[in-house]
Amino acid sequence: MRTIRIGFLLGWRQIQRANIWTTTLIIFVMMLTFLNLIAVSGILVGLIAGAEKAVREDSLGDLIISAKDDEDRILETETIIRQLEAFPEITAFSVRHQGSGVLEANYKERRDLRGERDIANVRVSGIDPIKEEAMTGLSADVIEGEFLDPNEEGYILIGALYTEEYASNFGDVFETVSNIKPGSTVRLTSGQVSKEFIVKGILQSKVDEVSLNTYIPEREFRRLFDRFDRNADQIVMRLAKPEDNARIKEILIANNIDDLAKIQTYEEGKPKFITDIKNTFNILGTFIGSIGIVVASITISIIIFINALSRRRQIGILKAIGIDRRAIEFAYILQAAFYALLGSALGVLLTYGFLIGFFERNPINFPFSDGILVAEPVGTAWRFLSLFLITLIAGFLPASLIVRQNTLNSILGRNK
Amino acid sequence: MDIITAKNITRTFGTGHLTQTVLKDVSVNVKQGEFLAIMGKSGAGKSTLMYQLSVLDEPTSGEIFIDGINVVSLDKEAATTFRLNTLGYVFQDYALVPDLSAEENVMLPLLMRGNTWEAARELAKKAIDDVGLAGKYPNLPAQLSGGEQQRVAIARALAGKPKILFADEPTANLDSISGQAIIELITSLNQDYGQTVVMVTHEREYAESANRIIQMEDGQIVGEEKLR
Repeated sequence: MRTIRIGFLLGWRQIQRANIWTTTLIIFVMMLTFLNLIAVSGILVGLIAGAEKAVREDSLGDLIISAKDDEDRILETETIIRQLEAFPEITAFSVRHQGSGVLEANYKERRDLRGERDIANVRVSGIDPIKEEAMTGLSADVIEGEFLDPNEEGYILIGALYTEEYASNFGDVFETVSNIKPGSTVRLTSGQVSKEFIVKGILQSKVDEVSLNTYIPEREFRRLFDRFDRNADQIVMRLAKPEDNARIKEILIANNIDDLAKIQTYEEGKPKFITDIKNTFNILGTFIGSIGIVVASITISIIIFINALSRRRQIGILKAIGIDRRAIEFAYILQAAFYALLGSALGVLLTYGFLIGFFERNPINFPFSDGILVAEPVGTAWRFLSLFLITLIAGFLPASLIVRQNTLNSILGRNK
Repeated sequence: MDIITAKNITRTFGTGHLTQTVLKDVSVNVKQGEFLAIMGKSGAGKSTLMYQLSVLDEPTSGEIFIDGINVVSLDKEAATTFRLNTLGYVFQDYALVPDLSAEENVMLPLLMRGNTWEAARELAKKAIDDVGLAGKYPNLPAQLSGGEQQRVAIARALAGKPKILFADEPTANLDSISGQAIIELITSLNQDYGQTVVMVTHEREYAESANRIIQMEDGQIVGEEKLR
């Protein structure tokens, strides 16, 4: 106890009397190190978190009902819809019928019937425009033209990545049709059935489920795809409290909906690769950030070493008058702890007080997501702890090296 | 009664043909309450002898008993504790911790001895008062003159009431007036309180304040003079 008390006195007074600019610089370095540790993995994970958030908002919602593994579609869809309408916790839901077809454009202008047709294999979603709008706000993704009007027939929305103009940025990755504008006429074919549509609008989103999709009204979908049983492929739901989705799922199961369909929370239903990439980026970010820790620990070591070396004689005299070497070592550990604590605290303040909000308001514009900064409190706490411990070791080692030198040699400035 | 008994101390530095013997078979006794001055030219071995007697260095051969304890056999930790509880030191350049106030400098060994903060502070203030620096408790070393700093160093050395005070050229960095004042302080501690003092000096004038002077040359005691 007396060792700690004396170490505290020595260490704290050194901090108090140190040059303010030097102390500020060291704390600044520690803060940057901490930010590096948080921000590198935070932004990498944030790229995926941004994509995840977009998928949840623009496509999958909080709860997903889909066909059971051994069924083609959701059974007794209308019964399920009636039940869902009775749940006050469900603020919106959209029933989606899904299929694939062939989209053809410019067939009216084609002169050579043996020439290549302007076609693309597309995903087709049959929706109730009003319910889909309430669920995902799909109209906000319309970049040209207008959203579907529930009172009109014969109109289609086409995802931007099916149009040559917008998909050309990605090379030849996607099948596209050319010269598509609102008002253009296209033909959608499923099996032997074809129907002509007028392009109502072009949709663009960072969510592939939107940009690589075509939307037509549900009743036209049923006619085109010969689906008169009204059973849907997917029902997505928005909840008043998204975090309650596991609880609502249990209630739906209690209502035997799981006999008719598969019920998944967003976390269960989201594409697995999102979780995998997120974990990989987290590891990668932590690894890159760890290099920062090594640099910071070397910086602290050098600072403490120079500090202790310049006080070598003083350390020798303290030992000569009977001060325990552990008290002297503690004084230097205290200094390292002070720099680490203050630097990390400033880093935490900056991260949670400014950076997260800043990136939330100004996300980084990546092609597949709006990148935000993700800093989970538990992860931050672990990073803080690791930085703190490594800094303590970085402070202790050089101090110990000097303190353990022969007392008389330290006093006389001798090397041996 | 002898408080220090050193027998046949030899101190050698280096190895092989580079070996240099700085102390050669030196024996010396110091009585309790005595003021011993060690004199000699530069390189005579006087400081090396003091380092052996004050448990800061270990002789290559020989025995040293302080207060009945064979200090040569003490390990590092035990030697540190022994110095804390038994010895006091005054160094040539005061050797105060620059970040601590005069009061805190004096408190350090007192805290290390297990005194509470309040008790250490009271003892430190009294020790500073005793060396004539009342009211200078909060001053940092840089805010004190050389003579005042040396007084604080003496207060630090004496606050724990050591059995022996070692002073290594305590006046070397001081002007003659301050130097004289420090010697008078050390002498009065010896005469008024019976403090055992071992002082290294190269100035005859200051050495004459002691009870006895031993003269060193080439690592050996070449003369001894009893003054009172």
